[in-house]
Amino acid sequence: MSNNALMRPLFAAILVALLQTAFLGYMIESRASILRNGVDVVLKTVPVDPRDLLRGDYVILSYDISTIPADKVTGGFPTEATDAQLSVRLKTQPDGSWGVTEASFGALAPKDGSVIARSSPFYFYPTPDSPQASLNVDYGIERYYVPEGEGKVLEEARNASALSVTARVDDNGRMQIRLIAIDGKPLYEEPLY
Amino acid sequence: MYRGRIEKDFNTWVSKGMLDAGAAKAMLAEYDARGTVFSAGRVLLVLAAILLSAAILLLVAANWEAIPRLLRVAGIVGLIWAFYLAAAACLGRGFKAMGAALLVLATMTFGGAIALVGQMYHLSGDATDALLVWFAAACVAAVAFRSAALAVFCGFLAWAIFGELVVDNDVSFEGNGYIYLVPLLIVIVIALVRYTNAGIARHLAYLLALAWLGWFYIELPEVWVAGLLFGAGLVAFLVASLPLSPLYRFARDAGAAPAFYSFALAVMGVAALHTEVDGLGQEIAIGATTLAVALGGIAIAGRLNGAVRFLGYAVFAAETLYLAFETLGSILGTSGFFLIAGVVVALIAWLVIRLEKRLSSKTTVEGSVA
Repeated sequence: MSNNALMRPLFAAILVALLQTAFLGYMIESRASILRNGVDVVLKTVPVDPRDLLRGDYVILSYDISTIPADKVTGGFPTEATDAQLSVRLKTQPDGSWGVTEASFGALAPKDGSVIARSSPFYFYPTPDSPQASLNVDYGIERYYVPEGEGKVLEEARNASALSVTARVDDNGRMQIRLIAIDGKPLYEEPLY
Repeated sequence: MYRGRIEKDFNTWVSKGMLDAGAAKAMLAEYDARGTVFSAGRVLLVLAAILLSAAILLLVAANWEAIPRLLRVAGIVGLIWAFYLAAAACLGRGFKAMGAALLVLATMTFGGAIALVGQMYHLSGDATDALLVWFAAACVAAVAFRSAALAVFCGFLAWAIFGELVVDNDVSFEGNGYIYLVPLLIVIVIALVRYTNAGIARHLAYLLALAWLGWFYIELPEVWVAGLLFGAGLVAFLVASLPLSPLYRFARDAGAAPAFYSFALAVMGVAALHTEVDGLGQEIAIGATTLAVALGGIAIAGRLNGAVRFLGYAVFAAETLYLAFETLGSILGTSGFFLIAGVVVALIAWLVIRLEKRLSSKTTVEGSVA
């Protein structure tokens, strides 16, 4: 009996701690696998409005691929309000950075020389009377945590459009930040773990 | 608390010779021996656990760059294991309070770990997702350890999720579907409360249900929503408090809460209806309905249920003052209104005193029969 009284909580402790550890491991590994297997894309950042968005210890990043002109969307728009995700085809531009060539609410076929990114889920509602000229989407790489006090440098560079981010995209279109550079000089390089 | 009051009453009864001193002593001893008795030490221990976990969370927020990432992850995972294993050791040896405090500490640390990992690896997930994972983990832990402390913790996390959804503005009807998860969270918390015997934590769930329904009306301020809240509250109240109802015994087992919260829902609905009415006829109808609900609530459940009784009084007083202000206030001006208000409050006081007397004499008669 006393043995049982000790075993039950012990079993519970191991089960619960194991589950929690597994979840934390999953969080870390799902990011690492994107960095390990993904393809590099260099992204230009754009100024964020309002300009002072240093929240706590992270810098909010916005990219030129975050804005998708409506005329680049192939396959039409949903006719009813819905939860949506965009597939976005990225291609190298003459200046070396990657830009949007095509986007779709459905899937896009892979093509040589291009990479397909998936946006984060967002809510889309059609406005037939005044169609939107562009869509704003996130890719899950909009946040970069920095040591206290270092955020200002990144913010200023971002707002001067001197900041570039190299991200990796995996086969499922998920992205993670690999490198942050100012005027082409690497500032933060992200290890796998 | 109850312990102090009952001891005082026992002393009175013993000194009047109504109760044997030995019996009173035995009853108090039985009460003290109960497992769930409130103790200041236990509460302080849990508070200490919360303070410690706050320290851990702040350490995370400070974004400690001095240690390599993997070491930081290992450290916080190590803390989680250490706290859960220590909790298991305490519970196994019968140190219940210490065990509960360690469980809370461990589960708080897991929340900190999610934030730490998200921050170190620049994961732009949203706060609701993180809170939902945290909630799920806390529920699993509450079931695995059958821990009342963790059931309470789950109740607070459910509130945090609701708050985050409301603040986040993601919750317009068309926004993400998370807000519709709230009833599910409520059901889970109530199930946990029943399973772990967490007692008062059920109020967290009931209050969340009221808050969610209130949010519903704020998002969709239509007559039918207000009417639905009122109707549903009224039906639930009658089901919970009429002895005829098949669920009466079941609801009585759960204490005063079912009748009180369903009554509160009906009151919320009728309050919402006040903003929808238009014109004198409707004003009078809604005013009369409100007064009838307040008095009906007191008449049906007020004798056994102090919470319903006082809510009934409050609603009756507020509605009477509101009606006096709406009808007479504009004619008489401010000073006249206070005069009327004074008279009305005096009348209500008289009514309350009469009612309380009636109710208590009824109880004595029934008590003497039983």
